[in-house]
Amino acid sequence: MVKKKIAKVLAFRYTILAVILILLAGGLVLLPKYQKHEGIKPEELLSNTISSERYMTTDRLAHILINQDPSFILIDVRDEKSFVNYTLPNAINIPLKNLFNEENIGYLNQNQYDVVLFSNDHFYADQAWILCNRLGYKNMRVLKGGINEWYATIINPLKPADNMPATDFDLYATRKAASMFFGVVYPEQFKVEAPKIVKEAPKKVITIEKKKKAPAEGGC
Amino acid sequence: MKELEKTKRISIAAVIFILAVIIGLLTYKRPKNTYAINTKSTLEKITIENYIVALNELKNPEYVLIDIRNQYDFEKGHLENAINIYAAEILSADNIKVFKELEISNKTAVLYGNNPQEANAPFLILYQLGYDNIKLLAIENSYLQNKLITQNSEIEKSEADVSAFINESIKKANTTPVVKVVAAPPKKVITIEKKKKAPAEGGC
Repeated sequence: MVKKKIAKVLAFRYTILAVILILLAGGLVLLPKYQKHEGIKPEELLSNTISSERYMTTDRLAHILINQDPSFILIDVRDEKSFVNYTLPNAINIPLKNLFNEENIGYLNQNQYDVVLFSNDHFYADQAWILCNRLGYKNMRVLKGGINEWYATIINPLKPADNMPATDFDLYATRKAASMFFGVVYPEQFKVEAPKIVKEAPKKVITIEKKKKAPAEGGC
Repeated sequence: MKELEKTKRISIAAVIFILAVIIGLLTYKRPKNTYAINTKSTLEKITIENYIVALNELKNPEYVLIDIRNQYDFEKGHLENAINIYAAEILSADNIKVFKELEISNKTAVLYGNNPQEANAPFLILYQLGYDNIKLLAIENSYLQNKLITQNSEIEKSEADVSAFINESIKKANTTPVVKVVAAPPKKVITIEKKKKAPAEGGC
């Protein structure tokens, strides 16, 4: 009796095996994506972060802003308070903690514009850059030195000492001109407008020659 | 006879199937380092947790210093008891072992470089790999006469109020210039009196 039952089940053995395999295969497809491993490999990320090509100097950024290059987006990753106080022209504020909010992804994950991240120095901007780089976002840059460097080089450039090479003076002149573009006013700009003292043309003195008195000639 | 043929076919299929599975397993390379957390939770963690260590907190016996600068800089001068692991090699098998051992023995690795920005990237990468025992030392190293000088450095400190500076410069410029006209002192004219020629006196 028992043997008969076993034989009955065994007759379906291949079908049962096949069904199990198909179920397993189906399970593979339905497995949730393993979210933790998103992005590029850690080794690749490390070599990307070691290279310093992501950094942009303040001089280059000033050049871009003055030329009003439309292919750049500036993103300020500091908090809102610092953003309101001072930021670079036309910058967008995305505080670091809101970086991956849905409304901000559009600015980061695109390949039409170059994105320049900045903060007070480049610590937070770097962190934002590393996370974005892991996700494979393209065209991201970091302003080297951030706002502090921007202040020290562009807004308030240090005047070179007399014994420094001519290139330093050229750089200083460029930076000073840039700072004027970004709103700094120098007192000497006004000295030019100071009223010029017009020297009165000296009166021409026309001397009328008097007839000389003939010297008294002695005569007898 | 028919049954026999069927089993033959099945056994061939089974062998092929098992072979495929074995080859698959053998060729599968497990990546050495894998992330433990995704970017979103990393971001949450780094904005909430405090991972910054200042110079005066170093006395904590649980801290192990790790110098991420290159070997040359390390030999030139480094903090006491620091281990040198160059930033670019932080993910190599030997170095990962160091971090794992630290994690097992409940110690905290404190990374430092020439400035906090330099140690930032290695820190953040290890952080994403799931090491929670990693901190960052906020210092700035410089050399004076070949001696290492270490200073505390405040991260993301705003050094100058730029908008105040600009406003100040505008104000200064507006209040200016009553330009004083300094009248040049009149030139002293020294007249040399010429001796008058005595008129020719007629005389006999």
